[in-house]
Amino acid sequence: MQLIFNALIAGSLAALIAGGLSLVYGTLGVFNMALGQMVLFGGYITWFLHIQMEIPLLMSICGGALFGALLAWFTFEVFVNPFYKRHRFLPLVTTIALSMILDGLILIIFKSSPKGILQGLKNSVEIFGAIISTEQIALIAFTILILCSFAYVLHSTSIGRKIRAVVQHPQAAMSLGIRSPQLHRLIFISSGVLASFGGIFIGIDQNLSPVLGFPITIKAYAAIIAGGRGHFWGAIICAYLIALIEQLVVGIPLLPGGNYIPAGYQHSVALFFIIVFLIFKPTGLFCSRLRTA
Amino acid sequence: MPFFIHILFVISNWIPSMLSHNVIFGKGKIFHFGPMGVAIISSYGIVITLKSTGSFALAFLVGLVCALLISAVFAWLSVKLEPDALGVITLAMHIAILNIAINWTSLTRGALGIPGVPRLSFFSSNTTLSITMAVVAVLWIIFMLYLDRSSFGRQISALAEHEWYAKSIGISKIKINLIAFFIYALGMTIVAFFSMQYLTILHPNDFMFPAFIFYITCELAGKPGSVLGVTLAIVLLTILKEGLRFMPIPTGLTGPLELIIFGVILFVAVWWRRDSVFPNTRSV
Repeated sequence: MQLIFNALIAGSLAALIAGGLSLVYGTLGVFNMALGQMVLFGGYITWFLHIQMEIPLLMSICGGALFGALLAWFTFEVFVNPFYKRHRFLPLVTTIALSMILDGLILIIFKSSPKGILQGLKNSVEIFGAIISTEQIALIAFTILILCSFAYVLHSTSIGRKIRAVVQHPQAAMSLGIRSPQLHRLIFISSGVLASFGGIFIGIDQNLSPVLGFPITIKAYAAIIAGGRGHFWGAIICAYLIALIEQLVVGIPLLPGGNYIPAGYQHSVALFFIIVFLIFKPTGLFCSRLRTA
Repeated sequence: MPFFIHILFVISNWIPSMLSHNVIFGKGKIFHFGPMGVAIISSYGIVITLKSTGSFALAFLVGLVCALLISAVFAWLSVKLEPDALGVITLAMHIAILNIAINWTSLTRGALGIPGVPRLSFFSSNTTLSITMAVVAVLWIIFMLYLDRSSFGRQISALAEHEWYAKSIGISKIKINLIAFFIYALGMTIVAFFSMQYLTILHPNDFMFPAFIFYITCELAGKPGSVLGVTLAIVLLTILKEGLRFMPIPTGLTGPLELIIFGVILFVAVWWRRDSVFPNTRSV
């Protein structure tokens, strides 16, 4: 049971990040390789506001999310917008450049030592025999709330229908008067806000460290690719699946003699699993097909 | 003089692996973002064999076989996956392989690295090693220029430009990709063989993300697919990279500043070559 709860916690973080990115990929067709650093910046700004400036937590979280939105907007205008219409693969490289710049800035501004947004001992409760902190329960609930809001917006509002139309067939959507460029900007900024919430999640649950940026990006994209690129719910399900695999790999005695796989291999095993899965199903778990006349 | 010898070695050492990767990424437009994964496997294969047997020939052979095997997996993935998915998955493989190298402490000594890598008696001084590496680099440039004009060079360009048309005239994607990835495996093994003897220590920190970024920066700055352009970019950017050590900046800032400077260079290079990095498909 503890493993399932651990997977739920790790999966909620991944789902929060992968969900927004999946929409970005679906509408723009680009990968943002600076995502991990955007996640960290959201967390670090919240840490700075809460711990250094001693601003109340809720306001600090809003500050972190606002900074995430601004950073995402800047990223879109400078590193994505001038390139993705020329070739959708160009932002893959420009955002790699941005990831390096942000990595350098994080190291200069916040240094390499781990930073936690909430300091001191956390209150824990026992649910079905598993130990979980109240902060973790709040984070899982918040992720579910965000995902439900996304589901409502996507499936029950006018803007959601426009987003789905652009994801399904951009040219057809534009011919019906949907202003794709504005929609692209809005979705990119939303993904930045979700990413900064991911960073805040890490800062509250664990510690923020500059080395986390790159693995976060790769795991989020592994979920998107495995889920079927551009498929919002596929990415969410695969984010939870990857987290579950990571927990099961080290939590169940898989080696002969009842031995466990060392925790250090946790991430490698999950990534190899995704790679092997993609070899047999390159289109991902929930392949979305383009409708044509 | 020692600094000149050092620069000569570093530049020459980048050339075989980077020019080979340029064939894959620059010429073939294949998003192989896991060159460091091949480097890790090849380097550890060489050093572990060398430390346990003392045979340089066997160590090189083991390193080469390891590099060829992992390159075959990459080549297979390059045929199976969409280009951008390949980019992410090859990066994922890099992380996964690095993670194994760091955690398999009984074999690799983990984060401590493997010190005391022996040298061939011929390479008693750094000068001899650097000059030999420079000769190898020049030979590799000639080989790359030959390859560029060969049937293989034309076929990989054709596949990059329009895969369907290339396939319709009988060009096999899997064959061409395998050759390209195997050339990289050979180039990387040569680099690993020499660099391990130069450094005399194998450390996992040498295979982190910034090393891969340096590949991409040099290839984009020098013009993707161009042998001489990329060679010139390697020379200039290596001098800049190594020269940063002499700037009057605090020690703790050198690493982050290097990241920022090379990030900006990479961005400017893509901006400058935004129409030629991934050219539009020609059509009638």
